[in-house]
Amino acid sequence: MATTAVAPGQPTTKIGKAATEIDERLIVAGPLRRSLNKVFPDHWSFLLGEIALYSFVILLLSGTYLTFFFDASMSETVYQGAYAPLRGVEMSQAYESTLALSFDVRGGLLIRQIHHWAALLFVASIVVHLVRIFFTGAFRKPRETNWMIGVVLLVLALLMGVTGYSMPDDLLSGTGLRIISAILLSIPVIGTWAHWAVFDGDYVGDAIIGRFYIVHVLILPAIILALIVVHLLLLIKQKHTQFPGPGRTEHNVVGNRLFPAFAGKATALFFIVFGLCAALGGLVQINPIWLWGPYNPAQVSAGSQPDWYIGFLDGSTRLFPAWDINLPGDYTIPALFWPTVVVAGAMFTVLALYPQLERKLTGDTASHHLLQRPRDVPVRTSVGVMALTFYGVLWMSGGNDLIADKFDISLNAMTWVGRIGMIVVPPIAYMATYRICLGLQRHDREVLEHGIETGVIRRLPSGEFIEVHQPLGPVDEHGHGQLSYGGAPVPKKMNQVGGARRAIKGFFKPIEQVSDVELGSRREQRGLAAAEAERDQLTRSGRPSEGGRPSDGGRPQDPRD
Amino acid sequence: MSTTNPTPDVPAESGATGGLLSRLRRSTGAPADAARARRRSKHRRRMTNVAGLMAALVLTGVGYSAVAPANAADDAIASQSSAEEAGQALYERSCISCHGSNLQGVADRGPSLIGVGEAAVYFQVHTGRMPLVRQEADAVRKPAVFSDAEIDQLMAYVQANGGGPTLPSGDLRDGDVAAGGELFRLNCASCHNFVGQGGALSSGKAAPSLEDANDLEIYAAMLSGPENMPVFGDNQLSPDEKRSIIDYVQTLKEQADPGGLGIGRSGPVAEGLVIWLVGIGALLFGIFWMGTKA
Amino acid sequence: MSTGDHPGSHGGEEAQGPLYGGPDDDYTPAQLAGMDKESLNRLGARYDGVEVLHVDPPPAPGSGLEKQAERQVSMAFGAAGLFALLFAVVYVGSGWFLPDWQWASTDNGWSALYTPLLGLTMGGALAFIGVGLVLFVKKLLPHETAVQDKHDGSQFDRSTTAATLMGGLDKTGFPRRKMIGRSLGFAGGALGLMLVAPLGGFIKNPNTGNPLGTTPWAEGVRLVRDDGTPIRPGDQEPGSLETVFPAVAGGNVAADAATMLIRLRPEQIRALEPRKGQADFGYGDYVAYSKICTHAGCPVSLYEQETSRILCPCHQSQFDVTQGAKPVFGPASRSLPELPITLDDEGYFVARSDYIEAVGPTYWNRERI
Repeated sequence: MATTAVAPGQPTTKIGKAATEIDERLIVAGPLRRSLNKVFPDHWSFLLGEIALYSFVILLLSGTYLTFFFDASMSETVYQGAYAPLRGVEMSQAYESTLALSFDVRGGLLIRQIHHWAALLFVASIVVHLVRIFFTGAFRKPRETNWMIGVVLLVLALLMGVTGYSMPDDLLSGTGLRIISAILLSIPVIGTWAHWAVFDGDYVGDAIIGRFYIVHVLILPAIILALIVVHLLLLIKQKHTQFPGPGRTEHNVVGNRLFPAFAGKATALFFIVFGLCAALGGLVQINPIWLWGPYNPAQVSAGSQPDWYIGFLDGSTRLFPAWDINLPGDYTIPALFWPTVVVAGAMFTVLALYPQLERKLTGDTASHHLLQRPRDVPVRTSVGVMALTFYGVLWMSGGNDLIADKFDISLNAMTWVGRIGMIVVPPIAYMATYRICLGLQRHDREVLEHGIETGVIRRLPSGEFIEVHQPLGPVDEHGHGQLSYGGAPVPKKMNQVGGARRAIKGFFKPIEQVSDVELGSRREQRGLAAAEAERDQLTRSGRPSEGGRPSDGGRPQDPRD
Repeated sequence: MSTTNPTPDVPAESGATGGLLSRLRRSTGAPADAARARRRSKHRRRMTNVAGLMAALVLTGVGYSAVAPANAADDAIASQSSAEEAGQALYERSCISCHGSNLQGVADRGPSLIGVGEAAVYFQVHTGRMPLVRQEADAVRKPAVFSDAEIDQLMAYVQANGGGPTLPSGDLRDGDVAAGGELFRLNCASCHNFVGQGGALSSGKAAPSLEDANDLEIYAAMLSGPENMPVFGDNQLSPDEKRSIIDYVQTLKEQADPGGLGIGRSGPVAEGLVIWLVGIGALLFGIFWMGTKA
Repeated sequence: MSTGDHPGSHGGEEAQGPLYGGPDDDYTPAQLAGMDKESLNRLGARYDGVEVLHVDPPPAPGSGLEKQAERQVSMAFGAAGLFALLFAVVYVGSGWFLPDWQWASTDNGWSALYTPLLGLTMGGALAFIGVGLVLFVKKLLPHETAVQDKHDGSQFDRSTTAATLMGGLDKTGFPRRKMIGRSLGFAGGALGLMLVAPLGGFIKNPNTGNPLGTTPWAEGVRLVRDDGTPIRPGDQEPGSLETVFPAVAGGNVAADAATMLIRLRPEQIRALEPRKGQADFGYGDYVAYSKICTHAGCPVSLYEQETSRILCPCHQSQFDVTQGAKPVFGPASRSLPELPITLDDEGYFVARSDYIEAVGPTYWNRERI
């Protein structure tokens, strides 16, 4: 011992020594351990936000590549590149450089398409993530701020998309740009001033592509990046929500530690998302601007659509009637103002303020870290489905000319279907969802009270046939279960309570011993008899104050059966 | 009669072997037939094998001079008038109930055919739109009812008795593809879409896809303005410009999609479906799989 | 010479303060050295409020289950490497030992497959890395269930922090020294104004010269095609439409100048009902309407010559040509403006004046200028 100068606990390996050197300077061991030990709850739906994050990383990587080849200039040039059907056509530098990066840069088309697919995926995954947050009540106190940041991120992602797909200056996006110009003009009082400020004059001018470019590659990404950092810091500070279940309370998080399990899966998901974007980028053609042609204000194509995430606004614009409002003094509020600025503004404002609205309406001011099952909050779930249906009708109407064409329906009829549908269908969806929620709730309580349907039919001495039910826990003298509903999924099949041994592994031939599995399942206390002790844990959430009606579930009722 | 038809003075260099041979075989003499037959050899424009083509031309020329002079002059007149007669018979069997006995049209049934010319007949009958099955918002493309020879006869009859625009001859793709693209986007894309996919019009009508349209049909459509399509007369779009447009349309159709599957080349709607059904769909499966325990 | 000899190098007492403490006091290095990795791991976790409840062990070393899992993971990583290598081969090899990658619109061969192959190999490589990682985590790592305490806010923290903040504020004396507060507020506001003021560079007056209400059209300006050729009345057939531009420099790229010159069929002329005061705007059987939709500015011109309708492909507004291009369906509220036309001395179409109203989308003060 005396011969070595190493103090007890000092590392002897090279890496260990290097790590000690670093920690002596930066003192990171403590924070690093705290990060590695951070527990993340394990549920597939918690990965949806990660998809959005990884799409954004892919966008940054591929977008940076594209900036080296793209020239955001509107000055005219004559194309002389590789694509013969456009050779000799006058076009802007922006369009020409996009063609060049598609056809004259080795692998450029792949990167461009990856970028565009990742953009579509970015917005789509934000929407799916938002829907998950909404329906499980994850936005409730203390997470209202993070919800609001999320909504802002969604809006910024839309702006990012619009500025991005407008940049190639092709005939499709140019048509969209024309509509953006008209929307700006439609704003009451300041419309023309706003247009002059954005376009640097009358439409189309020669500034807009360059301005969109700097907004797209510098301003918006910087804001989005900053907001994502805040979004994640808040998540880490407030810890992730979790679904109710055995041992899960408002005051803990049950799941995997960051290292290694969670980090491994997160890294895996990044590669899978990147792989998907790359595969789509190569295998499915997106925005083939060489087919659209360069922008010319006198040209247009049938079936001009925006990218999917703007489709709902295109739809609302198609459906809104021609109601210009003429004010005294010869002022006009154009009809275009309502379905674009007002509808979009109202939708995102309501969305951002929804947590506050719900707090006001329900009077629920407590902090919540346990999620809710959508069925347990039928009003919110139905409102959400109603909003999604409304959005869906608008979205469909954004492509109603293509639907009319492909399915041989009258275009005018499609417009009317949308106009009536956006008013009639959402309330129907509300009512249907509400009933479904109540039905699912009742079934949960039915199973808690009477047990799982086993499918075993028994004939009573009186001749009556009854189905045998497997109670989930202790029963009272009438045979009614005494468990109360705690917000967690109620097992409804015998297999979910260990009615069957787990499957033997191996695809072509078993690779485990049957007896091992049997022993293992006994050891793990699977199976009915073994689970006796855990029964009262099965559905309890640990929050008696809310979720379900504890007085209901196990209450003895008049003997009927 | 034959006076309204420009004589089929096909320049030797633009006529490909298939066209001349088929004209020899059938010797109908109608210019449309010749042009149509010529068009059959799809990739004849590709001057990949100039030498082979020249050889074939020489051979064809020799063969033509050996066979044709003997009966060409007689045939031209005889087949012309017999074509009209046959055409009249066809007309009276299939068209007369809607278009009237003298091509004057029947109120609420069918328009007058006076002045529409053989171009309109070729377009309507060759695309199977006529004879109409039932009155709808617009007539749609169907398999043609009449054979090519019968269509030639109908064309001859209508041209002789109604007059109007005639069909062109020569290579209908002999144009500037880029200029054709500009003209297409200015004049055609608004209804037929960037890539000729067609699109919806008001109240159930639709501009048809150009997917199945051949050169001569596109040319005839521009010339005659079938149904709701505006007319593009030769003083508005010169024959050269029309050829350029056809060249552009057909080039796009034959061109590969360098970026992978074209997904109908229909733009953001199809792309949105792909990202939701394939992209989000695959990722949902993925994270579901990641979430389940081994 | 020790560091302590330098003047100023004494940061303070070498001895630890009274509040020093924590885990390093509880666990001496010797104690820590005596613990195995797992107990250190659990110990650290406990300090972070994490309790490992349950660990599903990975498959036993050497078991069939483990071998199968190892095989699967290695196959995934191997496939990833293979795909990545193929990517490199396609990327580098095209134009070298493979056919050229550069696509021409006539080539349906290798160059049309180039990008798809790149995407397939790149996607495959990345996705298989991900798949391998997932398999590894799921099948070869122990599956542990941990629980971490979530701390609610502490009243102690709130009280002490508030006291610190308020104490600091009291020391500045701002609540008392009102003048400083006010002047600082004034300076802050003015500085803010100064910083946003340069945004004024974006502001331009849209009302100078009425750019929205005027177009390049003017009296005597010829109607020309895209290629600059003028048009005579005989050039178009009845039932035709031609997009025309003013014969001025840049006329065919001006955003508001595109005009549809329509030759009506006799039936349409019989049904013609021009707008009030615009009966003489047409010439013979010709009428000319702005091509820019009055709704959102898309070029209309999906002209149905039998039903006399013009459809806008963006939002499906429909205009009736025989009724002064009045909107008959959809979201547009105004007729397409009509361009008054006549013939010049040489028999070509010319405009008699600019449009008498603003073309394109409606805006706030459109009626006023």
